[in-house]
Amino acid sequence: MSTFFRGLRTRLRALVRRQAAAQELDEEIRLHLELEAEQNRRRGMPPDEARRQAAIAFGGVDLAKESHRDALGIRWIEDSIADARFALRTLTRNPVLSGAAILTLALGIGANTAIFSVVNAVILRPLPFPHADRLVMLSEDNPEKGWHRETAAPANYVDWKERVHAFADVAAYEPGGGATLTGVGEPQRIRLRGVTGNYFTVLGVRPALGRVLAPEETWKSATPVAVISDRMWRDGFGADPAAVGRSVSINGALTEIVGVMPAGFTYAADTVDVWRAVGWESSSRSQVFFRRAHWLRVVARLKPGVTPEAADAEFQTVVRQLQAEYPVTNRVMGADLVPLHEFLVGDVRTPLLLLQVAVGLLLLIACANVGNILLVQAVGREREASLRLTLGANRARLVRQALTESLVLSALGGVAGFTLGWWGTRLFAALQPNGMLPVASVPMDLRVLAAMVVLTTATGLLFGIAPALWSARRTPAEVLREGDRGASGRARRWGDALVVGELALALVLTVGAGLLLQSVRRLEQVNPGVDARGVLAVGIGLPAGYDSASQQIAFFDALRDNVRALPGVTDAAVALVPPFGGVGYTSDFHIAGRPANDYGTEIGRDYVSPEYFAALRVPLLAGRRFTAADRMGAVPVVVINQALARKYFHGEDPVGQRITFDKIPDSTSVWRTIIGVVGDVRQQGLASESLIEAYEAFAQNGNSYMTLMARTGGDVPALASSVRRVVARLDPTLALAQVQPLERMEQRSIASQRFIMLLLVVFAGTGFLLAVVGVYAVMAQLGRRRTREMGIRLALGARMGEVQWLVVRHGLRLVIVGLAIGLAGALAATRAIRALLFEITPGDPVTFLSGCVLLAFTALVASWLPAARASRADPAGALRAE
Amino acid sequence: MATPSTDVLRGTLDLLILKTLALEPMHGWGISQRIEQFSRGVLEVNQGSLYPALQRLELKGAIDAEWRTSEHNRRARYYRLTAAGRRALGAETESWRRYVSAVSWILEGA
Repeated sequence: MSTFFRGLRTRLRALVRRQAAAQELDEEIRLHLELEAEQNRRRGMPPDEARRQAAIAFGGVDLAKESHRDALGIRWIEDSIADARFALRTLTRNPVLSGAAILTLALGIGANTAIFSVVNAVILRPLPFPHADRLVMLSEDNPEKGWHRETAAPANYVDWKERVHAFADVAAYEPGGGATLTGVGEPQRIRLRGVTGNYFTVLGVRPALGRVLAPEETWKSATPVAVISDRMWRDGFGADPAAVGRSVSINGALTEIVGVMPAGFTYAADTVDVWRAVGWESSSRSQVFFRRAHWLRVVARLKPGVTPEAADAEFQTVVRQLQAEYPVTNRVMGADLVPLHEFLVGDVRTPLLLLQVAVGLLLLIACANVGNILLVQAVGREREASLRLTLGANRARLVRQALTESLVLSALGGVAGFTLGWWGTRLFAALQPNGMLPVASVPMDLRVLAAMVVLTTATGLLFGIAPALWSARRTPAEVLREGDRGASGRARRWGDALVVGELALALVLTVGAGLLLQSVRRLEQVNPGVDARGVLAVGIGLPAGYDSASQQIAFFDALRDNVRALPGVTDAAVALVPPFGGVGYTSDFHIAGRPANDYGTEIGRDYVSPEYFAALRVPLLAGRRFTAADRMGAVPVVVINQALARKYFHGEDPVGQRITFDKIPDSTSVWRTIIGVVGDVRQQGLASESLIEAYEAFAQNGNSYMTLMARTGGDVPALASSVRRVVARLDPTLALAQVQPLERMEQRSIASQRFIMLLLVVFAGTGFLLAVVGVYAVMAQLGRRRTREMGIRLALGARMGEVQWLVVRHGLRLVIVGLAIGLAGALAATRAIRALLFEITPGDPVTFLSGCVLLAFTALVASWLPAARASRADPAGALRAE
Repeated sequence: MATPSTDVLRGTLDLLILKTLALEPMHGWGISQRIEQFSRGVLEVNQGSLYPALQRLELKGAIDAEWRTSEHNRRARYYRLTAAGRRALGAETESWRRYVSAVSWILEGA
């Protein structure tokens, strides 16, 4: 061992102190020569002869030094440095070509860096909690209602927590949620999350200040308690440590702040300001609503040593117990256990992997192009290489030098690409539609760096291996015998392979991007069911003090009338949930006169004011709309959508029939008369089919949170400030929740599809362009080599077109082969993205055909251009050129 | 790569260097002189390969080197046998003897 280290030390010293080591050797040799010469003199030689004989006896001094270095084992490092220097010189000799190669690589590596950073942040990195792999998400499944991974009912949550011993602890939170905060500056809307008392301990996070919530605070205590975010603490409380212990009013309820979370704390990408303990009444546990209504996301931490499978088995047993114990609510209620990370990454996984594959293909195309550039150079330098071989250069040494050249090139491209990728990552994170990525940030960590170093090196080897082997393959005799002509045969085969490969890859990319492009176009053409142009949507939550339905109705009536009176406003209405705002809530329903077991489930429900349908241009298909007369005390009425009329009233006239929102009607059921049928609205966004839906009159129900919608012929953002003034005049303590153009909500519902599509189109476009440039480069090479042949043919009387056809025909053959391979690849690849497509099949013939035609046409033009140039060359000149 | 015959030679040179240094620490020129003397002028060290051999042995840990002042008041790099070198000398001497006797059997038997 010590021997090994001593050797290592000597080597290291020799490398680090190369200069010093060389001097030592010089000195040693000088001494040797002097001693030898002295001895010679003593034997009677004249001084000059003595020195000469000494030198002869020693042999070549330089050779000795050389072998000395070889023995040191540092020669290969010195050689590599020399190779790298040589490579840099070669690269600077042709700056345009080298620049093009580096730029091409930078594009490929940059795109890969950016996408891999995102994939790393979202898919590869663990969640930012201790032992995050022990966290699982529990959700409810109900095959009868088509639920999968839905929110859970609180009573079920409590039973899971108490009965499943595989869970160390189970927490729950209410997804979404907002509230009005007063008592800190101006009234403001905050993002509020109701959580169970053990939420933070289950996640394993600690507060920056004060304490987190306590497990017993899940249940109602004297004062509601809450924990605030770092941002809230800084913006709302000026980072005052005394914020802990203060009381604020949240939706009118006095709440004590007990702690502040650290700045980095985030769950998925949420932007919660205040976490408030849910504070359930313990008497609720036995009530039916606690098991019937579902609004909780449930996170469990597995006990150490328990596998998710074992936990799931026990969990399912408990779920079946609950089905037996509570048949009314849980008869078919299943449940699902999935790692929290998998749940949070969910939908975005497939598109991200798709993008990763796309940039991978892009990089391959880039490699092919750069490989071609190097190959052309290697062929051009063939005489140089064979000369060096003749002079005794080592063949392996030549290969290594050529490889060094490509590695230097890829390293330069890698550095440029990494820089580009850094910007790209920032751009991606900034441009991604809100909430698409379930992470708070996209850091470029060591894994990204390491992956890119590996990728860059692999890239260099990939595109460098062919030219490197080329440079040392042929014997000098061959080169001298065949001249340039022999070279052209083999170089052409390489070039052909590159063209075929590039075209195939480009076709896969183009078809993939084309399918997504068509999907988004079809999404954009979906009839949303409303006309969102010029409509402003404003969410307003009423605090305590507006407790009765009549107070709420009075406020929103006044608001609507005041906004309607604003200049430029043509319509104003209120609704519980605006279009594209999702389904507010759902329930079962029953149609009067049908058998008791024939009930409908999962009907979407909404409260609207009488003007709603006209204001949003929702067409009335039968019956009438609500009027001011449909109010408290009058006959309860509903308007249903077309989907409901179709599904449950096949051909019957629904108008005049009655429904109730109970599964099994009894004497307490409220029967509501259907007065009209309206068109379907894409409530859950453009990509989702309309649910069956029933609208009730707001004036017959009331609610504290409503969305005001106002249509203007003028400027929508300008209307927002007018609406603010109206609200402030009606009640200065109110804060507006959401103020946004309805059209933006419509766009947002397909924003992530559009974003992914846009990226894919950019990548595919770049790949397409690179492939075409590659085809052109290879064909230009071919044209140049055949200039002489063309000259002869032209001189012998061939027509220009015939001569050009020689090159184009070759190009055509490559295009056909490339596209055939590409078609097979695309057919296989597009199947994998079926889930991302909208109303288009993965094998859509139109998309495939247009992709082929576009690529074939461009590639043929790219091969005709060099042919045309070559054929126009002066025949005599072409013949002399060789 | 290297042919068997050069390996034998290289091995011989290493052995001779080790043997020489077993007597006392010595500088490069001294080593070459000693070998010539011992072999009564039969063996001549190819001095171009002496220094690489010294380097090799140093890397193997068989010998150590340090700068010292020589008998004629010159700065010289002195090589010294290490414990590992002493062991190597024993082993290589043994294998050399086997080699020599094997070769002589063949020559005499033939």
